[in-house]
Amino acid sequence: MIRAILLALALAVGLASPAAAHKLKVFAAVEGDAIAGYAFFIGGGRAMGTSWTAKDADGKVLATGKTDDEGRFKLVPGEPVSSDITVTVNTHEGHIASATIVADRFGSLAKGVEPAAPAAATAAVAQVQSPGAATQATTPPAAVAGLSDSQVAVLVEAAVQRQVEPLLERIEEMDDRLRFTDILSGIFLIIGLVGIGLWVRARRN
Amino acid sequence: MAHIPDGILSAPVLIGGAIIAAGGVGLGLKRLDDRAIPRAGILAAAFFAGSLIAVPVGPSSVHLLLSGLMGILLGFGTFPAMAVALLLQALLFGFGGLTTLGVNIVNIALPGVVLGLVLGPTIRSTASAGLRLGLAATVGALSVLGTGGLVALSLALSSPDYAPVASVLLATYVPLAIGEAFITAVAVSFLARVSPDALRPVLT
Repeated sequence: MIRAILLALALAVGLASPAAAHKLKVFAAVEGDAIAGYAFFIGGGRAMGTSWTAKDADGKVLATGKTDDEGRFKLVPGEPVSSDITVTVNTHEGHIASATIVADRFGSLAKGVEPAAPAAATAAVAQVQSPGAATQATTPPAAVAGLSDSQVAVLVEAAVQRQVEPLLERIEEMDDRLRFTDILSGIFLIIGLVGIGLWVRARRN
Repeated sequence: MAHIPDGILSAPVLIGGAIIAAGGVGLGLKRLDDRAIPRAGILAAAFFAGSLIAVPVGPSSVHLLLSGLMGILLGFGTFPAMAVALLLQALLFGFGGLTTLGVNIVNIALPGVVLGLVLGPTIRSTASAGLRLGLAATVGALSVLGTGGLVALSLALSSPDYAPVASVLLATYVPLAIGEAFITAVAVSFLARVSPDALRPVLT
């Protein structure tokens, strides 16, 4: 019996080693004026057709929806972003995960993408919501200096985002990758515990 | 699926789960004899490695639980075996969490233990291979569905926001229950043929 189970175990470890796991993760990034991302199971595909909710730091719901066939979601915050936004994905059977985008990551979004005149208007709106956001919106020279500067800023923002995104995705995946050494150390730790258990019992008798 | 992560369950559910799990582990450790300790270790390792293999099903992805098989082979010893495997999964891979460890142990181990206690004696004593196959399959399937029910209950008790949707639960747990029934039936029939003693958690 032991040999058979060990064989099955060895097989299981062999199959598990490349990349297979079971944990829901959410990847979210700023794309232009929107927040986009996807939900995925580490090693187990995307979470399709599951519901997602975006909330700001105060817990106010900004947007909700369902992920598409590739587990993707996208939302446009609309107004200048002054607080962290958390996107939570819930598969409705026990898998819940969330990703938070810190306010700093919004860059151009927070500082007003629009040309100078509307930027002043949005800054005023932001002032009503929170004083901290207003200072953020008015201080950078790009927002007030004129149209071309802010446009350049937006373009740079988009280009950097495009280049950095694959890296961010990769980091997110590596974060929880199953490692063969971890699986082995877990199994050997269990074997060690068995040995300790037997030793304790033998000593007691 | 069965591994509930940190930060979702409410304190009463976490504490209740931890108390039941501690009781189960204590009871199980007392029952483990020299014969059962290596077996508990092997099954814990099998669960530890086996549940790392996830298969996408519907909107989610599922993995083996083996709790029915463990319930038949280990009885109460399932609790300590499951506790060790889940603790390692939480520490090494971040499956589930440390605060939810107790709840996860109860959710996964309890249905297997109960079904193993109820149907185990018949599975061991019956002379009919067909009946044994059928009962083992029942234990495997029902323990998975029991785990699904307990997971749903722990989420629903914590926050109505996280209450699982019944249709999604069925869509993910029913295929797993069928797979689990098959594996439990095959393993139990094989052991009954090759080494019937292995099916007894405690020699009487």
